[in-house]
Amino acid sequence: MKLRRLSLAVFTAGMLISPTQYLFGQADAKQDPAKLEFFEKKVRPLLVENCYNCHSADNKAAGGLRVDDHNGLLQGGGRGKALVIGKPEESLLIKAISHTDNKLKMPPNNRLTDEQIDILSQWIKDGAVWPALEIPDDLTASSPEYDRLRKEHWSWQPLKSPEVPALPGSAWPRDNIDRFLLSKLNDVGLTPVADADRLTLLRRVTFDLTGLPPSPAEIAAFQADQSSNALETVVDRLLQSTAFGERWGRHWLDVARFGESTGSARNLPYPHAWRYRDYVIDALNKDKPYDQFIREQVAGDLLPADSEAQSKEQKIATGFLAIGVKDVNQRFKVRYIMDNIDEQIDTVSRSVLAVTASCARCHDHKFDPISTSEYYSLAGIFHSTDDCSGLRNKMGGGGLDYYDPKMLLVLSAASQLDAEQEAKMAKAKQAADDARTAFETLRDSAEGDEKAPNGRPKRQVARQKWNRLQAEYMSLSDPAAFGEVAMGLRDAAKVGDTEIRIRGEAEKLGPIAQRGFLKLVEFEGQPSVPADKSGRLELAQWLTSPKNPLTSRVIVNRTWHHLFGAGLVRSVDNFGITGDTPSHPELLDYLANEFVADGWSLKRLVRRLVLTRAYGLSSAATDEQLTLDPANRWVWRHSPRRLQAEELRDAMLAAAGVLDRTRPTGSVAAELKVIELRNNGTEAQRMVDAGRNSRARSVYLPLLRTLVPTSLEVFDFADQGLVTGSRDSTTVPTQALYLLNDAFVRRNSLATAETLLANSNLNDQTRIEAAYLTTVGRTPSPTEVQRAQFYLAEYQSVAGEALAEEFAAVQQREQAALAEAQRPADAAEPANLIAAKAGGLAAAQQAAALVANPDDVEQTEMVTTEEAVQSRDARTAAWASLVQALLGSGEFRFVR
Amino acid sequence: MFNDQVSDSAFSRRKALQAAGTGFGYLALAGMLGLQNKPARAASVTAPLAPKPQQLPAKAKRIIFLFMEGAMSPVDTFEYKAKLQDNDGKPGPGGGKLVASKFKFQQHGQSGTPVSELYPNVAQHVDKLCFIRGLHTDTPAHPQAVIQLHTGARVASLTRPSMGSWLLYGLGTENQDLPGYITINPSPNFGGAVNYGSAFLPAHFQGTRINDSGFLPNLKPQVLSPLQRKQIDLVQDMNRDLRAVPGAPSELDGVIESYELAFRMQGQVPDLLDISKEPQSVLDAYGVKPGPAGSFARQCILARRLSEAGVRFVQIRQGGWDHHNNLHKGLIANSAATDQPTAALLADLEQRGLLEDTLVLFGSEFGRLPTAQGVDGRDHNITGYPMWMAGAGVKKGFSYGATDEYGTHAVEGRMHTMDLHATLLALMGLDHEALTYRYAGRDFRLTDVAGNVVREIMA
Repeated sequence: MKLRRLSLAVFTAGMLISPTQYLFGQADAKQDPAKLEFFEKKVRPLLVENCYNCHSADNKAAGGLRVDDHNGLLQGGGRGKALVIGKPEESLLIKAISHTDNKLKMPPNNRLTDEQIDILSQWIKDGAVWPALEIPDDLTASSPEYDRLRKEHWSWQPLKSPEVPALPGSAWPRDNIDRFLLSKLNDVGLTPVADADRLTLLRRVTFDLTGLPPSPAEIAAFQADQSSNALETVVDRLLQSTAFGERWGRHWLDVARFGESTGSARNLPYPHAWRYRDYVIDALNKDKPYDQFIREQVAGDLLPADSEAQSKEQKIATGFLAIGVKDVNQRFKVRYIMDNIDEQIDTVSRSVLAVTASCARCHDHKFDPISTSEYYSLAGIFHSTDDCSGLRNKMGGGGLDYYDPKMLLVLSAASQLDAEQEAKMAKAKQAADDARTAFETLRDSAEGDEKAPNGRPKRQVARQKWNRLQAEYMSLSDPAAFGEVAMGLRDAAKVGDTEIRIRGEAEKLGPIAQRGFLKLVEFEGQPSVPADKSGRLELAQWLTSPKNPLTSRVIVNRTWHHLFGAGLVRSVDNFGITGDTPSHPELLDYLANEFVADGWSLKRLVRRLVLTRAYGLSSAATDEQLTLDPANRWVWRHSPRRLQAEELRDAMLAAAGVLDRTRPTGSVAAELKVIELRNNGTEAQRMVDAGRNSRARSVYLPLLRTLVPTSLEVFDFADQGLVTGSRDSTTVPTQALYLLNDAFVRRNSLATAETLLANSNLNDQTRIEAAYLTTVGRTPSPTEVQRAQFYLAEYQSVAGEALAEEFAAVQQREQAALAEAQRPADAAEPANLIAAKAGGLAAAQQAAALVANPDDVEQTEMVTTEEAVQSRDARTAAWASLVQALLGSGEFRFVR
Repeated sequence: MFNDQVSDSAFSRRKALQAAGTGFGYLALAGMLGLQNKPARAASVTAPLAPKPQQLPAKAKRIIFLFMEGAMSPVDTFEYKAKLQDNDGKPGPGGGKLVASKFKFQQHGQSGTPVSELYPNVAQHVDKLCFIRGLHTDTPAHPQAVIQLHTGARVASLTRPSMGSWLLYGLGTENQDLPGYITINPSPNFGGAVNYGSAFLPAHFQGTRINDSGFLPNLKPQVLSPLQRKQIDLVQDMNRDLRAVPGAPSELDGVIESYELAFRMQGQVPDLLDISKEPQSVLDAYGVKPGPAGSFARQCILARRLSEAGVRFVQIRQGGWDHHNNLHKGLIANSAATDQPTAALLADLEQRGLLEDTLVLFGSEFGRLPTAQGVDGRDHNITGYPMWMAGAGVKKGFSYGATDEYGTHAVEGRMHTMDLHATLLALMGLDHEALTYRYAGRDFRLTDVAGNVVREIMA
């Protein structure tokens, strides 16, 4: 790379600029050296000295204007172009510094000297010359090393059609998949262990497919079914249950880094993100072909639709690329746009292809053959796309400043507005605009400090008025108030290729990169991007072509990972040079081929995998086997795994018999206005409480970034900032503290105990058996029953004495509650309760919107109280404790 | 187990505290569980936070970071600029009108370092301090700069592990009965939990958040201790049954140990977080009082107690420095809240011998301009601002780097946020280029592809 560093000596003393900013500055042949010298010696220092505090990347772009960037001046800010090349008299910049217009005097209170004004006028007259960026020579050159890697690296070669190992005489394999595995086991000198026992297998397959434990009735039915296809019956039942989509949809939501808020610098809620969540779950339940699933998420808005419903569904699918982490507080719009595009490129390339294309944003990829130029080929596609997340970037915004309802997808035609409503809206807008002007006048003036009649500074009062009127206008004009809206994508009004950004700096424009796809996968007949379209549809087609070997390999491997504990390629999100190589390359290709041939059906893939002999192996192991292959890479047994956060929570609710299997409408987060969330605010507390009190499946809990429910956070919930194909599985004391003391665990243990005790058909022995069955999915041995009985007796006797007062108090409360419940009142109705709380929420958000400086709020932590869960008597307490012990046990926390 | 009496030797008291976690307690437990029979497995599974040796020789074993969120004004506190004082009201560099500080500066200590009248107590310790005065960062907005200061991420929407998580990942922690990384009263916005999150590092490296009265969720036993012990014994019986099964989950040792740790934490941590255990004289020295005005003092005492007990990284926070307006009164209020507790913390750490191996860091995400904003305010400045350090590994009564004559741009000893991170890691005995974590095919670092260690400040 040929680069020449400009001498920094031309800059005035006392001023330093990051060298990288000008690293590429160099006079190109057409630029007059004398004019350049004039710029560097006279013009730039003048701008630096007088304008940079308000109009540069190191500070801000007041009024949208930057003077440290040629494009910044040419494009100008809110008032339009700052300069017209060759015409100083028409240039806003000259007007502003001349102080001839009372409304536009820059710098304020400090008119430049006539000599300085002449310098800038002269410069504009002479063409406003600015040193050109140097484009590194190799920016668009091809690299032999890249060519070699494209030809050699295993993952981007076409799928092979491997032969199934014959293995004559072996009775062990049930499926060709088993034959591939056994052949490899033979090679390495390992033999598969015995099959798992039926109950273990039932618990395993039920959790794996639905994220739920088998119910006692399901256990009984399976044990009673002695037919040879008993397992198939179970698997088909599980695949047909809605719980399948809730479990496997969640796997995809991990990959889609699903979150219901922006996270990042300002945490703004995404009240409509849940539509995408439901779309994913439904797609899995409908067994939407995976290629179609991907096409819809990348370009659903551009696909043909047979019905209104289908069109709606496909639009919602594009939420995939709109729900990422966003920094709405990014003050420079071009950076906001390029950062979001980067997030989209990272997500789509890692999730579907398991390559890290975003590494090429600033420089050619260090390991994989992805050039910066290719990155911007993809970027052009997303640059031609509107990222409809309902948000805009804003510097130092508060209240509803970040909300941009025009940047949402409208799903249902908004009800026709009559003239009266339109007039109302226009009036509200005028009022809000006037209030804004009034506030802006007071903002930086001494008058703003004067006290209004209510004793508050006038500035603050004006800001509050503006916020209130802005909120009124928003609520009148918000499409979400009229009908259904969603987050997602649409083609931008203007489509076209975009420039390579030198070293990834959004403002440093290099040559144009023609829109296209990554070269590491190229095949005959692949689509190309039409000039008048964004190219997203073609990207979707390229991704899902049967000739694209990555897409099918990656999803087959993800599926394997979820069922066998680790992928055939362990690095499930990285099939690049630094990723793992497949343990069974032939099997991987075999599965990918079969998957595509079978119509990209995930359900049939899952079905086939769990019915293999290999999946049904026991988890037993000898020390010898463990020494040979501790990680079970060759699949000689079934690897035990810890339940994931959602499974643990759902299983506790299921054991207590209180799991609500219906899908809640929307999300609690849907109630939030698009106003910054603070972790110590009332609205955040409301989200936390909603998560804590919910009995719905965990996939439906509010998942605002940085406000993940404790029940999930403690057990390694997926990172919501990045594609996560494989979660951590840690064992730390906070988990034990959670299992010992958290109200959720204690409440459900108590509920389980109360149900057991209320059942008069049971005696203590059968109650213990039932407790084991609902928690760990098996009946206890006689020794275990004895141990439990002894425990109950001892616990009850100690608790009876020690906790007598507590029990009396609980019983008193229960009686009072009973009396209350017998009154014909509606105050206890949950719906009303929620409405009441929502009212509180609206009030809290309103209050947050009324703060003059959005950062000037109560900064200390809120006081947190822990809910006490207490039993009514010693016997109940003992049983609750027994159940809680079972929920804390390794047997509950792991599937084998 | 926790003894709140100040013993005759503060040093031995600290040792005893830490031993509760890593010394006898741990060995006894290990013996009880038979872990010693299979040491290799036990080490990998059960103790991800066990102390690890430093990569480089270094004195600092732990850090206390006093974070002044919102950007305190340097020229009114720790940066004396004579030329600014002489040119009040005149046009300043970059546009705008210079505003001299309304607060008087005076030289202090043998080093003769000027400190403004807003920090009379800290000024008494100025010969312990090591100023870095040439800092600069990338983004002139709080959220992005706060996130960059805490995680190194230049683009705020890239979620990266926080500095404390990297330290924990690199060094483990001294006391296994306590979280190794505690953040008190962290920012409720500006990235919120991102600032103490572990991102793609395993979750046990993330910071534990407590409020300024020391509340930690799920720490309080919900039943009487003997009853809870019974329950734990039953859980452990079940776990040992399962462990006896061939091919049982290898994490079971970890499950068993985590219960014992949790039980011990319940016993010790609440006492540790209860500052009322301190003698009145100590509370008075820090200026502890109820309500928001006393928040920082409470945080300072908590920070000392936690560091003393071996927590690797403790962060505390004072917000409200964003003085676009109300600069004068705002500075008075905020310095009043922070001066005495900060000075008391330095004195307390020194008196207990903790300053020998604890590094204190004090400062904001960026600075403020010497020019005026509105009637009584100063705008953000990312091009030159100071922080100070004290304690383990850094020079005393020393200044490194400088801004220009008005305090706008760093002109000497320039240190980017990445350089600060590289230097902090080096002070803790870690090589910022070698402390990497492979995730999704890439080796990540706190300092990404940048960072220079500034050796000039090292003692």
